[in-house]
Amino acid sequence: MTFGGYIREVRERRRRDDRTFSLRQVAGRVGIEPAYLSKIERGQTPPPSERTIRRLATELDEDADVLLAMAGKVSQDLQEIVMLRPKLFADLLRQLREAPDHAVLRVAREIRDGDW
Amino acid sequence: MIELRNDTLTFSFPEVHREAVGSIAFVRTLRIPDDDREYPLPPGLGEFPLHHVDDYADRLPQRWSDHGGVFMPMYQAEALWISFDGDYPMAVKVSAGKIDAVTGEPFRNELNRRPQDYVVIPDQPWLDGFSVRKGLIRQFVAMPLGQGYTAEEQLTGAAEHGGLQIVAYPMKASRYERLKAKRFDPCKAEVVFRDMPAPMQMGLAPGGMMRQEVYSDDYGFSAWKRDVRSRCFVHLLNSGQYRTVTGFAPPYEPPTASDYTEAGLPWFEYFDADLEALEGAPRLDRLESVGTRRVNEGKPPLDGGEFVRPQPTQIKRLRNSQTVRDGSAAW
Repeated sequence: MTFGGYIREVRERRRRDDRTFSLRQVAGRVGIEPAYLSKIERGQTPPPSERTIRRLATELDEDADVLLAMAGKVSQDLQEIVMLRPKLFADLLRQLREAPDHAVLRVAREIRDGDW
Repeated sequence: MIELRNDTLTFSFPEVHREAVGSIAFVRTLRIPDDDREYPLPPGLGEFPLHHVDDYADRLPQRWSDHGGVFMPMYQAEALWISFDGDYPMAVKVSAGKIDAVTGEPFRNELNRRPQDYVVIPDQPWLDGFSVRKGLIRQFVAMPLGQGYTAEEQLTGAAEHGGLQIVAYPMKASRYERLKAKRFDPCKAEVVFRDMPAPMQMGLAPGGMMRQEVYSDDYGFSAWKRDVRSRCFVHLLNSGQYRTVTGFAPPYEPPTASDYTEAGLPWFEYFDADLEALEGAPRLDRLESVGTRRVNEGKPPLDGGEFVRPQPTQIKRLRNSQTVRDGSAAW
């Protein structure tokens, strides 16, 4: 499913229970024009900025990272993490590429216990 | 192993049982009045942020690196309680400045049966302070190390360790399976760690008195797998030091007593009629609270004596199936 189609589906689903999830009111709360949100939902314009996607995620109670991925984006904070140590994180991510979820979750950082 | 997830310490013992997981968080709260009257439990105002000591090792004392563990900021106007969470039973030792908060004895890694020097998860959802008498604790409050207020300094005469020390032991897998077979009904609980080291640290001192029972071990000493444990040292910094070390301020301001009153926050009483409370530790009962000590030294009370006192209508009684103690939404 496209980013816009998913946003429309989630918004319409919420509107069935809560009329404040109309196109106009959601656009207003997110801080964009209703016409722009309409174009986003219909795929007539590229996905919006990360900031707008994050506001949409908050408004629709969706995961921001998932919405960003659907929009073909990676959040700024994740980019900064990789750029600080590009070789280390590139190697790590490539190694984990095919790993099942439970194996990825095992890559956890243990709190180091010392001498006390 | 212990991991840091969303400001919570997560203990897991996969080598013992795949369900052997529990967590401990340190929850911000107000200081209760330090006037020797008994108070109910104040609500949580959100969790203290925790950071790996290793991430800031170049800006922290060498001793902190030697200890390992985590650190967190604490305003002097704040107090903390420890929240334990998990369905798999664990025995958890809590020490402040390497003084056992249940017995007042010096810290040791091992579990002790008599006197019981640990709390049991999930029976014990919270620990708010030093266990001084049966059903009474003195609140954990932050004071700078080196001024003589902390439990460690009052009992040992030295400001050597500070911080909080947590050690967790899981229940034996065989015992847990028998419990589950008897339709073990999981309860909610939360756990916390804390600790404060030497030159730039804060320590935990006994504050006001609260009604809270520290429950005796209902499973029996043989239930615990005493050859497997995980430990964590939690260091405490004041807000200014925290900003120096991390480069950013604590993500909140300390609440004032008037904020608290205006918000109409609840207070809590918690009872589990099926569990027996420990007697409390005479060593800890003999400690001077921060308020008493300042009076004896001819010093004014902290915070200008501004404290919050609960109205009877604000007090909520909780039973063992109700362990939500949150007031943070009001902030």
